[in-house]
Amino acid sequence: MKKEIKLALAQISSKRENKKENLHKIEKLAVKAKEQDADLVIFPELSLTGYVLHDQIYELAEIIPGPSTKKIEELAEKTGMHIIFGMPERSEKTRATIYNTAVFVGPNGFIGKYRKMYLPTHSVFEEKRYFRLGYRPAVFHTPVGNIGIFICYDIFFPEVFRLTRLKGAELMVCISASPAVRRSYFEILTAARALENTAFLAYVNLAGVEDGLQFWGGSRLVGPTGDLLAKAKYDEEDVVLSVVDYSDLRHVETFIPTLRDLRPELFDELKKYSETL
Amino acid sequence: MKLVPSVLEFNLTEVEKRIRRFIKEYVEKAGADGIVLGISGGIDSGTVAALSSLSIGGDKVIGLILPEEETYNSQDIYDAKLIAKKFGFKTQICDITPVLESFYKTISIFDEEDRLCKGNIKARTRMIYLYYYANKLNMIVCGSSDKSETMMGYFTKWGDAAADIAPLMDLYKTQVRKLAEYLGFPAELAAKPSTPALWPDQTAETELGIKYDVLDLILFGLERFMTPKEISQQLKIQKSLVEKIKIRWLSTEHKRRLPLTLKIEYRTVGADFRLPRHNY
Repeated sequence: MKKEIKLALAQISSKRENKKENLHKIEKLAVKAKEQDADLVIFPELSLTGYVLHDQIYELAEIIPGPSTKKIEELAEKTGMHIIFGMPERSEKTRATIYNTAVFVGPNGFIGKYRKMYLPTHSVFEEKRYFRLGYRPAVFHTPVGNIGIFICYDIFFPEVFRLTRLKGAELMVCISASPAVRRSYFEILTAARALENTAFLAYVNLAGVEDGLQFWGGSRLVGPTGDLLAKAKYDEEDVVLSVVDYSDLRHVETFIPTLRDLRPELFDELKKYSETL
Repeated sequence: MKLVPSVLEFNLTEVEKRIRRFIKEYVEKAGADGIVLGISGGIDSGTVAALSSLSIGGDKVIGLILPEEETYNSQDIYDAKLIAKKFGFKTQICDITPVLESFYKTISIFDEEDRLCKGNIKARTRMIYLYYYANKLNMIVCGSSDKSETMMGYFTKWGDAAADIAPLMDLYKTQVRKLAEYLGFPAELAAKPSTPALWPDQTAETELGIKYDVLDLILFGLERFMTPKEISQQLKIQKSLVEKIKIRWLSTEHKRRLPLTLKIEYRTVGADFRLPRHNY
């Protein structure tokens, strides 16, 4: 595993329901990131299709691995990079069971996927109407790092980040489609999740407007002390590159020893009380 | 939550930026050549016209001034032109009086004394003018409804609320006034009493029976699931007044929706037929 990697936060605005155009954009930006020596390029939640899809999602969802992931695999192979992006995933076993999924591919092909565990169904969000919940947190041990993947609303749930950290993740990647009215929450939570877990956190949000939802961009790399290491523009498309130096984790973990100081006995109680809410 | 005027404060710079982006992206994605809007000389239509101009350029915005004899007010026309000059968009005046008179003459059950029914003809006639211009010039119609009047159902169904986009619909009236001042509207214009101009001397506050600064706080409380009892206690007003506002809000939902149909088939328009807006 590399001790230091360069990652690209590829904050794009997706063309809704147009996978061809979005794949083209992903390819173009990945090639550009490679020219700047990126090891890992990250695209937002549902960046393959756009976020506001409603009933059209049934036409757009694909199995994974499938035709679109195949194209991204070829791109990863061609560029020698690792790529994370979001898309609607159709279950292989049924015809209308869909997951909100993050896909992880590398130069040697498909690495894995993460199905969003927390589906917002409140305010303007109706994800439970269309998606099935994911059941497994995801950690991938790869040449570019031990990487945990999350999607958007997951960030409100510290337990899934903590679990992923305990499974070895040192770089938390959270892809997102967050509208502007919630910007301040994410700006706080990205710093909090990184700091409380003493891990790097790369947050990559959509930009652009879909049906009145204005995605605020603002993608960022947060260091293990909550410091902002890189930040993309608000609202507009932008690509920002930054370096993750995993060797920083050692001195941060000694300075903020939250992992050493964990109290496992509380987790049983947490389970008990959350079941009887 | 404390219902004090400061709860209605918002980040003016950010909201202006977001509305401008919303308008610009919609016009681009719709493939439209510009925006047509009715401009009355009032604060809502002036604000939305200003924001439209700032978003896509005044040369792509047409403000239609649509006076009629009964409610004719030269000050309103002066104010509309003043706003147009300040923000650099074009205006055109269409006197709708002859059209209205034709309606009055040809409707066999027309009742001169029923000013609401008569006034609604005016609002719907203005809508026809706006959509003619939009159709003919490949433009979109930009509405000026604010959140206070929309929640109150204080508009003519298929009349003044008919539009392709309504950029101010999530801002209460008092917030629109603040935004107008921020955009550089003279204070007296920003504070000008609101009127739908359906009949002479009509003002929104008189008709609604409440001042907007109180109404907006009541609506803000209702929006946040507060009960009439909590709202009335906090604002030190009669609970019956809050209940009246709440009933008016809930009973006018039909004005804010597509026509209701019954569920017969697999997916139903307006119910479970959920599709993205393709142009946007």
